[in-house]
Amino acid sequence: MSDNPPLNRRQLSRELTAASRATAGQLINRVGPDRERRAYRIGFTGPPGAGKSTLIAQLAAARAESEARVGVLAIDPSSPLSGGSILGDRIRMDEVADSPDLFIRSLPSRWAHDGLTGNVAEMLQIMDRHHFDEVFLETVGVGQTDHAVKALVDTVVLVLVPESGDSIQAMKAGILEMADVYVVNKSDRPNAERIVGEIEGVLALSTGSRRGWQPPVVTTSATRNELGDLLGALASHRAWTEANRDDLAWRRRAERHHVQSVLNQQIAEIAEQAPVELFDASGAEIYAHFLTHLTPPGD
Amino acid sequence: MSLAGKRILVAKPGLDGHDIGAKIITLALRDAGADVIYTGLRKSPDYIARVAVDEDVDALGLSILSGSHHELLAQTRTELAARDAADIKIFVGGTIPPQDHQALIDAGAARIFTSEMTIDHVLAELELALTETA
Ligand SMILES: Nc1nc2c(ncn2[C@@H]2O[C@H](COP(=O)(O)OP(=O)(O)OP(=O)(O)O)[C@@H](O)[C@H]2O)c(=O)[nH]1
Ligand SMILES: [Mg+2]
Repeated sequence: MSDNPPLNRRQLSRELTAASRATAGQLINRVGPDRERRAYRIGFTGPPGAGKSTLIAQLAAARAESEARVGVLAIDPSSPLSGGSILGDRIRMDEVADSPDLFIRSLPSRWAHDGLTGNVAEMLQIMDRHHFDEVFLETVGVGQTDHAVKALVDTVVLVLVPESGDSIQAMKAGILEMADVYVVNKSDRPNAERIVGEIEGVLALSTGSRRGWQPPVVTTSATRNELGDLLGALASHRAWTEANRDDLAWRRRAERHHVQSVLNQQIAEIAEQAPVELFDASGAEIYAHFLTHLTPPGD
Repeated sequence: MSLAGKRILVAKPGLDGHDIGAKIITLALRDAGADVIYTGLRKSPDYIARVAVDEDVDALGLSILSGSHHELLAQTRTELAARDAADIKIFVGGTIPPQDHQALIDAGAARIFTSEMTIDHVLAELELALTETA
């Protein structure tokens, strides 16, 4: 921490922009394994408006007291119509957490449909090179489809609210099974304890491959700065992960996600650049067009 | 669509408490394809410059209705320069009397936008300004 070089915000900022603007063709040769030593990464997912950003701000403020260098990458959805976005996560964070060791970058999801954004894997590596101790990654927050974050972070936090009751049954088979820590935020509202019970019920039934980790369910009220046992739950999972994680499996999964996301980007780019008449052709011809336009590495 | 991929910060420095104009421009920029961050009301030039740097924006819009546009522009430019970011283009919008426009341009604003201008005109000017080199 203290022996790190000072944070060069302008340079970090520009490196992140360059990474987010790189084309798939440029990225192919840059895909590389995650470094050994790196920031501890925590992913936050959960339905829109659950309080992910507010909660991250409170956590960042708590970390600032220990002089840890904390980074936040916060992803908001791009409009499918205009391609533009309003990046609103930051406004919830800045008001609470304002420290020289905190760096926040807002990112649009663009063509990515997995709750993340293109090339976020490389952006996380950039954060490592700038000596962050911890990085919080906020997904778009579409709930069910945000599994991808699991491939890139060490701890996944699923943020729900007391009103999430109806969706919990529906989520059973999806994201509800993959989080490491469950948060029922907005516990200042009625029914928080009931939701905690429902989540615990679902977790008790799932026999997934957690290899011994018992995911805790904690209640918070981010706007009242009541973090409950969240700090403790995150510390426990970190200790458990560092003792038990299969690093090889983890690295393979991260690499697979990274390469797959570059391929997805390239396919989106080919679709965008294709002449409209292409889509009058047969399915097989359109498919062949995509295949011939994929760039092999080294070009 | 040619603001596609541009990162733009819409900021409200100073003490005035109205941000309808800032919100309208934020939405219009998004609809023109830009990625837009809006700061919310009453931010200091120091804060605005920090966000502009951390977010690596291509353009910074200052929405000012309070009459303090000369001071706020100057302070914001000082804060940007202190962060090695004097190259970020600044646009000033709001209630800016016509006789003040030239002085603001001379003080480093790339364009002045007023409520009499149509959104399309603003977007076209912004796009043009972003292609100009300083
Ligand atoms: N009552 C109550 N409101 C909260 C709490 N936490 C957040 N909020 C409010 O909920 C709203 C959404 O909070 P955000 O932090 O933006 O939620 P988010 O999950 O990041 O939202 P998206 O990024 O849009 O998906 C804001 O108005 C917050 O002030 C809480 O603990 N209690
Ligand atoms: Mg958010």
